[in-house]
Amino acid sequence: MAEAPSVITPLTYEILLALASQDCHGYGIIKEIEERAGEASAPSTGALYLALQRMESDGLIEEAPGRPTSGDDARRRYYRLTRRGREAAKAESARLAALVAAARRKRLLPASADA
Amino acid sequence: MRLTERLLRAVLRLAPGSFRDRYADEFLDTHRARVDRAASRGPLAAVLLSVREVAGGAWAIARLRAGLPQEVRLATRSLWRRPGYAATAIAVLALGIGANTAIFSAVNAFIFRPLPFADAGRLTMLYETNPEFGWTVGLAAPANLLDWREQVGAFADIAAYTEFVNRVTYVKDGEPVLFGASAVSGNFFSVLGARAALGRTFTWEETWQGNDAVMVLSHDLWVTQFGADPSIVGRTLQFGTRGFEVVGVMPPGFRFPTNQTQLWHTWGWAPESRQAVWFRRAHWVRPIARLAPGVTPAEADAQFQAVVRRLQADYPETNRVMGAGLMPLRDFLIRDVKRPLMILLGAVGLLLLLACANVANLTLVRAAERSQEMALRHALGAGRLRIARQILTESLVVSVVGGVVGLGLGWAGVRAMTRLTSLGIEGATSIALDARVVVFTFLAAAASGMVFGLGPALRSTGDNLHGALTEAGRGGSQTKRSLRTAGTLVAVEVALALLLAVGAGLMLRSFWLIRRVDPGFRREGVLAVQFTIPTARYQDRDNVLAFYHRLAEALEGRPEIERVGTVGRLPLTGTSWSSQFQAAGWPPERVGFEILHRRADRGYFEALDIPLIRGRLFEPGDRAGGPLVVVINETFAREHFPGEDPIGQRIAYDRVATESSNWYEIIGIVGDQHQVSPAQAARAEVFENRNQDWDRSNWVVIRTRVEPASVLPIVRNVLREIDPLIPIAQARPLRDVWRASMVREEFILTLLTVFGGVALLLAAVGVYGVAAQAARQRTREIGIRVALGAAGPDVIGLMLRRSLVMVGLGLAAGLTASLAAARALGAVLYGVAPNDPATLAAVVGLLATVAGLACYLPARRATGLDPVRSLRD
Repeated sequence: MAEAPSVITPLTYEILLALASQDCHGYGIIKEIEERAGEASAPSTGALYLALQRMESDGLIEEAPGRPTSGDDARRRYYRLTRRGREAAKAESARLAALVAAARRKRLLPASADA
Repeated sequence: MRLTERLLRAVLRLAPGSFRDRYADEFLDTHRARVDRAASRGPLAAVLLSVREVAGGAWAIARLRAGLPQEVRLATRSLWRRPGYAATAIAVLALGIGANTAIFSAVNAFIFRPLPFADAGRLTMLYETNPEFGWTVGLAAPANLLDWREQVGAFADIAAYTEFVNRVTYVKDGEPVLFGASAVSGNFFSVLGARAALGRTFTWEETWQGNDAVMVLSHDLWVTQFGADPSIVGRTLQFGTRGFEVVGVMPPGFRFPTNQTQLWHTWGWAPESRQAVWFRRAHWVRPIARLAPGVTPAEADAQFQAVVRRLQADYPETNRVMGAGLMPLRDFLIRDVKRPLMILLGAVGLLLLLACANVANLTLVRAAERSQEMALRHALGAGRLRIARQILTESLVVSVVGGVVGLGLGWAGVRAMTRLTSLGIEGATSIALDARVVVFTFLAAAASGMVFGLGPALRSTGDNLHGALTEAGRGGSQTKRSLRTAGTLVAVEVALALLLAVGAGLMLRSFWLIRRVDPGFRREGVLAVQFTIPTARYQDRDNVLAFYHRLAEALEGRPEIERVGTVGRLPLTGTSWSSQFQAAGWPPERVGFEILHRRADRGYFEALDIPLIRGRLFEPGDRAGGPLVVVINETFAREHFPGEDPIGQRIAYDRVATESSNWYEIIGIVGDQHQVSPAQAARAEVFENRNQDWDRSNWVVIRTRVEPASVLPIVRNVLREIDPLIPIAQARPLRDVWRASMVREEFILTLLTVFGGVALLLAAVGVYGVAAQAARQRTREIGIRVALGAAGPDVIGLMLRRSLVMVGLGLAAGLTASLAAARALGAVLYGVAPNDPATLAAVVGLLATVAGLACYLPARRATGLDPVRSLRD
């Protein structure tokens, strides 16, 4: 694992985002990404678990103790953000927000923020 | 679909234990959930996702294992350093594997893809035979079918269908539309085990008149013409004067028995027909049976034969010589294509072997060049096994990449092939890149990697590696030995290339001969247009004939059109019906068997330049109701009236003709027209007069003064004036009909020519590679010889000798092999023997020239070098 733990790849960020609102299992993360970005942009299951493993060993996420919603298959493991993970997500969001603000100033995006 | 899961499981097994223990279960769980969801959106989405999933899984594991498959990284790096070798090897393998993938896809579509029937292994085709008529896998007479169905207990049930589609006219929003309709028995779907997606299928009772106003639609028709409206079930659709209630819609993809089938209806047989002679004499239904539980085909056949014998005794008039048999369903459906497929499969197999030999050759040459590197590695402590493993890994990397590229090439090949002809069992299967094809490709890739990598790998473990270091790589025993092996490989390559080129040469010659066959009619400048006149507004013969008459008259009034005629079936598109006949005055035992029938008018012969040999053609005076007249072809006259004059003879289509038979007078003899294909000789044929033996469906043939396709709009205009509600069923220039009749030969020819050409190229590359390598390694020796005064040609001769011996050996071996193998081609060849000396000589000559050149060029270059420089280098 040559990369430094602080590197947030787009996929890592997507996962952080998916887990920011609620704890979720692997398939749930995929579904959320698909809903947000379209099916073609969702990672392969292989890429997802590669990222989950890396994020777990980097301490960005951890296994959630309980299984929040009922009815789901009991085998599925739920993940949640660690404090570090939440901080990384915030930092990355701020960085992206700054980039988007810059893009707006350069008229790459319409000026109105709330659409 | 579960194949991807199995693949992923296999991939996960390669993951580090820690990853596997923690994630494998939920990994697969997530994967399953995703594929299930994608599958609900359709097969394509599921396949796309599956491919991505497997690739993604493999990629992830490779990332996780980045430290471990050191060989792979080493191999990739080492290949990268010599991109020429890697690119050549990959390209050669990709060609071989791609060709195999393409042909295997076709084989798969015919031989392995599941038939769309439940428990298809228990289905069996029944057929009738008649040695007097030469029928081997003949159609059945309905009365016989009904008796079998009731009397052979070994069959759970027997259904039947007609093998061709009828075009039926449906008027939708005021416009006529043609639907492809297949007529079946009421138990057709239940015997096949096919259920309706909507509504129901037919019942046996609906086979019979009075219950037959029912119809089942294909999914495709339901979607394209009826907007996928579920309320279609129960609605009555009007076809001509009759209404049919739609009782069901089949699931997507079900279109048996033909690719054009869009709806099914039952025959609606009259119950009293069972006693009629014609119901047992006319053979026109294709029966299919389901074996009763626990019954073997042999047991069923025994029972079946007993019933067939009983029918022979009970109905001697029709069944005296009628035999019958059964055949597994798939064998029946692929009976015409199996041999060509096997020929092509054999040919691509050889091509892959050739590609492997070629890459092995490249690898050997490369191994010789690298012997010092390997020796150095060994000296530095790498075990022999490790070195062998590295060589093998490199081969596998090359073959896997070759396989991936080959898969793409193969699929492109499939697209190209399907442009020539449809691939798959008519009405049942179609070609697709399914798991079997992918697995086949990767097995082919892995096997070829082994084949061309194992040799060099094994040698590296057995060689004196230290020797290689001290030899300094200049003409030592090591390189000599590898050159000898390479020489043997060259001989193998030449032999394989010869084999493939002979196949291509024979097909080429055969096709050339077929194309030169005169089919007996004019092909250029004729457009054929098919019409079916609906019953609703054209109730009787006079209405129908009047329509065709008006149409011909209107068309002939146009300046672009020279002559118009009608015919029931176009030449070169098969036969309609056949019968026996007797001529007036023949003794009762004299019978003419298996004469073909076709309906035509005078214009047909004239528009198509069919020569009148003797007598006359139909005249306007040969009217319906008057004496029946026919025209026969030359073969008929030759075979059935040898030494007699057929003109004026009266014939009847009965085995024992009586005064009550329909008697026809022969009024003319016309030239033969090939009925089935240019490669099949014309058979005895009789032409009935369209004005007397009329039918609703006819081809109108139009000889034009302009490009034939360009008169189609004129035909449409004329038709609109006469009757805008009559649709054009089909329109084809006769030139296309002629071409289509040779499509099978063209298909095999095209593929074998491509294989032969690639083989020639590969062999040339192989020969050149080895000759160039030999020349490089002997640069020093040549330099000395030339410095000592040897003449250029002598040196070239010296260098050529060994290569040419190898080429010669290869040619001899290839020639022997092709004499044995070309016999397999015999069945698809026309007018040329499998051992045709001219073709063999031409191919050997071509290959010898190419190989000779490939030997000569490097040798010449070597002698042309400045001796001082070659010594210094």
